Amino acid sequence: MSDSAYIHIQSLTKSYHKGKTLITPLQDLSLDVPSGEFLALMGPSGSGKTTLLNLIAGIDSPTSGLLQVQGRDLGGLSRAKLTRWRSDHVGYIFQLYHLIPILTAYENVELPLLLQKLSKRERRQRILAALDLVGLADRATHRPTELSGGQEQRVAIARAIVHDPGLLVADEPTGDLDRESADSILGLLDSLANDHGKTIVMVTHDPKAASAAHRTLHLEKGQLISGS
Amino acid sequence: MIGQIRPIRLIGPITKNKEQRTNMLPFTYAVRNLFRDPGRLLQTVGGSALVVFLLMAATALNQGMSGVLSASGSAQNVILMGKGSEESIERSEVHLEAEAIAATAIRGLHQTLGQTAVSGEIVYQAPLQIPGKDKAQGLLRGVTEKSLLVHQTVRLLEGRFPSPGEVMVGSLVYRKLGVDEEALAVGKVLNFGSAEFTISGIFTAPGTVLESEVWFERNDLATLTQRDTLSSVVLRLDTAEAEDVEIFTLQRNDLELAAIREDHYFAKLSGFYAPIRTMTWLTAMLVAAGAIFGGLNTLYAAFASRIKELATLQSIGYTRRAIFISLVQESLLATLTGTLLALIVALVFLDGRTVPFSIGTFRLSLTPLVIITGLSIGILLGTIGILPPAWRTLAPPLPKALRSN
Repeated sequence: MSDSAYIHIQSLTKSYHKGKTLITPLQDLSLDVPSGEFLALMGPSGSGKTTLLNLIAGIDSPTSGLLQVQGRDLGGLSRAKLTRWRSDHVGYIFQLYHLIPILTAYENVELPLLLQKLSKRERRQRILAALDLVGLADRATHRPTELSGGQEQRVAIARAIVHDPGLLVADEPTGDLDRESADSILGLLDSLANDHGKTIVMVTHDPKAASAAHRTLHLEKGQLISGS
Repeated sequence: MIGQIRPIRLIGPITKNKEQRTNMLPFTYAVRNLFRDPGRLLQTVGGSALVVFLLMAATALNQGMSGVLSASGSAQNVILMGKGSEESIERSEVHLEAEAIAATAIRGLHQTLGQTAVSGEIVYQAPLQIPGKDKAQGLLRGVTEKSLLVHQTVRLLEGRFPSPGEVMVGSLVYRKLGVDEEALAVGKVLNFGSAEFTISGIFTAPGTVLESEVWFERNDLATLTQRDTLSSVVLRLDTAEAEDVEIFTLQRNDLELAAIREDHYFAKLSGFYAPIRTMTWLTAMLVAAGAIFGGLNTLYAAFASRIKELATLQSIGYTRRAIFISLVQESLLATLTGTLLALIVALVFLDGRTVPFSIGTFRLSLTPLVIITGLSIGILLGTIGILPPAWRTLAPPLPKALRSN
């Protein structure tokens, strides 16, 4: 493992049973991601991109191999510990934003902070800073249905960064946006990596989105085939 | 249009303090989820209100019936009936002279102003008719004034004890006969067969079956029913024991009597009505089961549409326990609203209502037991009822749940 690797993956395999068939979406994969890198993962459907992203985010557990994030072996964590680890260290950005429709933008962004011991005033400061960062401070009281797709994704990004995690994972964050909105989101992710040292792993099908990342890796049949 | 991206200036990292984390979803999340689909909310609240109301009604019915039967019998009274007909006073036949013989032969009976508390009575069920109304089955008792010595709960509310050609009616007879209360006021008449009787008085005997009875002068009833025997002789004990009365029946086996304590007689009657109470429960539970399955289906649908949302909360760091508690809060809010609604409906339409049955009338009351039953059912519906849909929603692996539609 290199000294600067924020994410260290060695011989990682993920398999599961679907009926009687054994499916192996990831096979013996090794990868290092340095701290502050903006990494794009590309590949055809079923290549294992989202599986890898979920493993890195602590959403899923590996079958075998080593998966360390910031020196912490995620494979050895129980479900409860993994949940707690996620709440401290990971911000997840989904393709379809996954905002809670009955909560306002402010309340959606507040969700990760409710898991931390913060006063209401401290929470408010952080939420407004996060919303300001994504340019939506004036939309704090709006519900998701009152926002455009791009605005929803920026609220989702504010929610992902408000508790200041070291790792951001993004599953096709621009997949449902028009070009202008997509560029804006990619610019925001770029800023988070370059100016704030966040380590970002992004799954995308869009070569233009991938070009915004520092590095792009291609997966096929659960294995890395090339990088740029 | 997306606004300009501002320069990044995040507030510094949060100082972690694991001991002080709450991990709970805000209560407002549960409250607002309730109003997500007003139709579903109405169904859940209405369904739980129906279940709670039905089970409260069943409890009140059973409690009312058991209550009136247990209150009707006194441990101080012993009933002498014809041997072999201990199951039913109406079928019993007791020689007329048994009343006087028992009064003199048994020592230690209650005395009031020199009169021994022994009352020979005729108990009968027959159709009665209020002029202008349909006939209805009535509970008739032929008595003498000595009956007041043994039935000590009886109090005259107005009027006087009946003389020949008169009757005294219990305050709930109007319910048994299905007429207005005014139709049985003092001075009004009622018909038994072709004979007309004037109402001389109205009495009460709180919480007992006597309140549903029409009391005739004993000779009148004997004549009309062509009886030359009594149905029973009721004795009120003072220093005597029930065993003394039983010994009397053995000593005077020529009278062919059986003795049973009045409270034991009504306890036996209560056992006779047990199948009716079981049927009440069964009916209430069957209808309630239908409503519960309907409610569960609604909850399944409500939660199933939120699998992805609940998975998102897990991905943020909320534990399944925290989400489950929020779902319970949401469900409890709905079912307790339904419970409150049921309590209000029960208070308006159930409390104080009287229900006639074959040997009397009982009153439905929102007793502490009925209210506690309602509240318990509401809480059970909100907690246990939520388990299957919550399990189905939270059980799928997180990656699969995040991909669900």
